[in-house]
Amino acid sequence: MKIPDEMLNILYGNYFGYVCTSDRFDMPHLTPVFFVYDGQSQKIFFITNEKSKKVKNILENPNVSITIDIRDPVNPFNNEGVMAQGTASITEKGPIYFLPEETLQLYRDIYLEFKGKYQAVIENKPMGENDVIVQINIEKMVYWKGPHFKSVKIDKEGKVTMVKSK
Amino acid sequence: MHDGEKKEMKWIYEIIVGKIPPFSLLSYQYSILLQLLFLLVLGIILGLVFHLKTISLAYGSLGILVAVLWSMLILQQGPTLRKFRAPLSKDENELLERYKGILFHKNHYEAIPGVAIFVPFMLYLFYDGSGLLKNWLGENPNILLLFFVGLLIWDICYRMGLGIWTSILALWRSLELKKLAEKRTELEHTPYTELRALRKLDINNVFFGLISLLLLPLLKSDPPFVVMVFAFMTFITFTSFVSAYLISKVPWLPPDIYNLVKESSFAYVGTSLKGVTHITPVVYVFDGQRIFFNTSKEAKKLKVMRKNNKVAFLIDKRDMSNIYENKAVLFTGNVKIYGVLDIPLRLIQMLRTLRLFITKYPEYTRKYSTSELPKAWQLTPIIARILVEVKPARIIYWRGAKQISVPV
Repeated sequence: MKIPDEMLNILYGNYFGYVCTSDRFDMPHLTPVFFVYDGQSQKIFFITNEKSKKVKNILENPNVSITIDIRDPVNPFNNEGVMAQGTASITEKGPIYFLPEETLQLYRDIYLEFKGKYQAVIENKPMGENDVIVQINIEKMVYWKGPHFKSVKIDKEGKVTMVKSK
Repeated sequence: MHDGEKKEMKWIYEIIVGKIPPFSLLSYQYSILLQLLFLLVLGIILGLVFHLKTISLAYGSLGILVAVLWSMLILQQGPTLRKFRAPLSKDENELLERYKGILFHKNHYEAIPGVAIFVPFMLYLFYDGSGLLKNWLGENPNILLLFFVGLLIWDICYRMGLGIWTSILALWRSLELKKLAEKRTELEHTPYTELRALRKLDINNVFFGLISLLLLPLLKSDPPFVVMVFAFMTFITFTSFVSAYLISKVPWLPPDIYNLVKESSFAYVGTSLKGVTHITPVVYVFDGQRIFFNTSKEAKKLKVMRKNNKVAFLIDKRDMSNIYENKAVLFTGNVKIYGVLDIPLRLIQMLRTLRLFITKYPEYTRKYSTSELPKAWQLTPIIARILVEVKPARIIYWRGAKQISVPV
């Protein structure tokens, strides 16, 4: 099966994601990020500073979650969103000519996608010197709208299975 | 602090104690305990040598006890204020520097009230034929005993003076701080932990006042003194209580963050259990001092928080049309989950919070109340919805794209 459309609509149609990481003492940390979802690999990417707390946390504990949602201050039945849980991997850092071709390709692709999605706000700003790309390998994803839930699991090969729906 | 000269911020007593071994070698709690023992042993030896009655020993011990209890409370002022981090507001910082400057003035004004109590009291004791001395030591006490008693009286009077000195200054500092806090802009504030530290000093002084009642048995034969002890107790507890109350009314968030928290509708709660993180959007309320959110009894995050009460709590303003206007604040710390046991203890707080929820989210409240909803969603207070309070230990604030760490 494929990832349900409701989930994809949220992943493609929104600008802000909220990433939660935690350190080895189980102290959570939460930040808003710009992200892109890549349908081909079924992964979420975001760019961040390598010195940020979330990178530090990911190095200690690769488990992360990200929530992307639409919120309605008036009617809770219109609240809609997804939360994806999985592991994060960070692209290697180093002088550009030492990076393997696939990492470079990833940089190019993701950066292009970012530029496409956030054109209005990032104005051709190149990736910063200390920026790294974080890739979230989704293992589980929950979708909600009002009181209704749906959740799927994604295995290592990218196979999607429905866990529950109500 | 200019020319690299560091203010010492110590009272005479601390300076003296800090120079005499073995007291100078110990942390201040142990040093106080050792002083108690030292005085007690000295008193008992003198008592035995001069064949004092048991009642005299009891009086002496009571006096020593009061002096030591007072020391324990009042000597926290120095270490607390020495560690005090500067407020992030020029005016508030100036005020607190001025406060510390007077409190620990290099001319040691703090000893004046003590001397003002000690001198007339000693004159009264020795020249006015008061029965107190006879009461304490019996007929014709030895000069060594008188010296010891004089020392003890000085110890007590000096601390009484410190009590008056610190509580008057505290009240002034709290009044001014409260006034200045109303004029803050942007990120100006005094960190939360520092406000709490000031409040704790004030509460210490409330106890300081109450402890003076222990002096009553020593003075009961002289009614005017009994009245004076009561007056002293009332003065110290009252001023300190008012001061602590004023401090609790000073907002602990700078205006920018205060307004963001006050005006936003949603927050995200991040939790973590055995390394696995979880995020959910929540509705929350802020009463100016405390932040509460609601969760359903069935929610995953509640189960997680019961096992690990550390949370990250994020409130933001997001706007794609102007990202430089975006703001976010992250609180990390613990949560307190309200349970059935809190109902009798914190009923008023809980009802007030519930009312805040109803005013802030009228539509939510109405929609949550319909019985067609799954049970977990119905807004039956306490039964299906659990009240959770956020207790931040750290605050991070983003404005535009810049991160600013705000001390708590």
